[in-house]
Amino acid sequence: MSVMKLSMGPQHPITGHFRFILDVDGDLVLKLEPDIGYTHRGIEKLAEKRTYLQNLPVIERVNSYCDSAGTMLGYLEAIEELMGLEVPERAKYLRVIAAELNRIASHLYAACLFSVATGLETMLMWPINDRELVLDLLEKLTGQRITYTYQTIGGVRFDMPEGFKEEALKRLDYLEKRTEDYYKMLLWNHTFHMRTKKVGILKPSDAIKLGVVGPNLRASGVKVDVRKDEPYEVYDKFDFSIPTGKNGDSYDRLEVRFKEVEQSINILRQALKDIPKGPIKKWAPPIVPKGEAYTRVEAARGEFGYYIVADGTMKPYRLKMSPPSFRNLIALPHLCKNVPLGDIPVIYISLDLIPMDVDR
Amino acid sequence: MSVEEKVIESVKTRFPEDIIEAKVKRKNRVSISVRSNRIYDIGLFLRDELGFNHITSVSGVDYIDMNELEVIYTIWSIDKKILASLRTKIPRDNPTLKSLINVWEGVLYHERETWEMFGIKFEGHPDLSSLLLPEEWDGPPPLRKDFLLPETPQEKLEEKIKRAGGW
Repeated sequence: MSVMKLSMGPQHPITGHFRFILDVDGDLVLKLEPDIGYTHRGIEKLAEKRTYLQNLPVIERVNSYCDSAGTMLGYLEAIEELMGLEVPERAKYLRVIAAELNRIASHLYAACLFSVATGLETMLMWPINDRELVLDLLEKLTGQRITYTYQTIGGVRFDMPEGFKEEALKRLDYLEKRTEDYYKMLLWNHTFHMRTKKVGILKPSDAIKLGVVGPNLRASGVKVDVRKDEPYEVYDKFDFSIPTGKNGDSYDRLEVRFKEVEQSINILRQALKDIPKGPIKKWAPPIVPKGEAYTRVEAARGEFGYYIVADGTMKPYRLKMSPPSFRNLIALPHLCKNVPLGDIPVIYISLDLIPMDVDR
Repeated sequence: MSVEEKVIESVKTRFPEDIIEAKVKRKNRVSISVRSNRIYDIGLFLRDELGFNHITSVSGVDYIDMNELEVIYTIWSIDKKILASLRTKIPRDNPTLKSLINVWEGVLYHERETWEMFGIKFEGHPDLSSLLLPEEWDGPPPLRKDFLLPETPQEKLEEKIKRAGGW
């Protein structure tokens, strides 16, 4: 048979607006070339036209429906580093609570997409339902389900409402119990093993060489996590571990995410217990002094880097974002060489790429 | 001597002529500014001798007043836990730079994006084609400072205030 060029997407190949150009020989995919840019909004250019404060809601929309709280943190870190602003302790805890809740929501969403790609659709309903519990909690805290603009320069906008702590602890207990069900339903399922084990194996040396980040890198057995490597906010005060995988296949990539949910629950319990009393926001001047800063945070999909060049005005001279999905994208053509066509959705979903995050 | 200072020291001793400026910015951050023609060798040295193995980002900055473009490679060292920014300035009229694809394989899309957004030609890059912009795009590189967006209402107001002599 001869080689045929096949276009997969851009109308939702599995998720998102994203196209693969495949070279197929029968059922065998010889080469995959991602075609991105369908959701490019030019946020880096837009940011140069807006003040630092006006940029907050724009930047949040880089990764809006999954992980806006985690995404925003890096931008704020960079500004606060340039200003030399010390954020109140309570605000730091509240930021961490929002970010970790968002991480749980994001990983549950990843699990639900994963089950769609493998054809186990009961598991689509369970995590998306439980994700709603987390989003409710975030709505109580921030006033919004997905795009919060909760964290702001110098702190957070609202304090914890009354009864939030008890409600959160109750829901975390439920989620922890629920994770066992996920293991029974999905991760220990024989069909699931057949579809994901030894599919898309990413070797640790390759993962480092390609610059893969986040859970995908950790699933290959490389212990890298910004929360431990250079702790930001109050992550140095919590006791948690970094889960890693052994084989670096698609199965490990999902398993690492589930273990991270457990660790996030662990962090949240400590944060809710230790949170000190005090102010939640410090006044910040609108002008950022001249200079440049590169900060990194661990968003749900991996390390998110922000590079800001400030020229002493109210607007950034240059804002460079280095989102995790854009950096994980390079693993996709690397893994999709000589694999059956049916494995493409599994590999794609296991990397947890979000097109908006790739394109910015 | 801290780990960061040791890194600076060893780069300076190995390439005394080609380093324009090398300094420790803060904990975990070093900045190495180099001449553009030697960036490939210094990149190799950083990777092989100093263990900077994990590419974080490639970004361009347009300094239009100085007629220069700056390219910044930021690389994380997993063992040392240091982020190095390897930076170089190239003229704005003829921006060419040797691609570092053979040093860090992960720069593939980063360099392609920088080419697209700033018009910097990376020599030796396998595929410099449109990545994020539409295929039929034929305007100037959009992240350069002379590519202007339409004026926002806020800017119109600011202009008006300025013309009236300030607040």
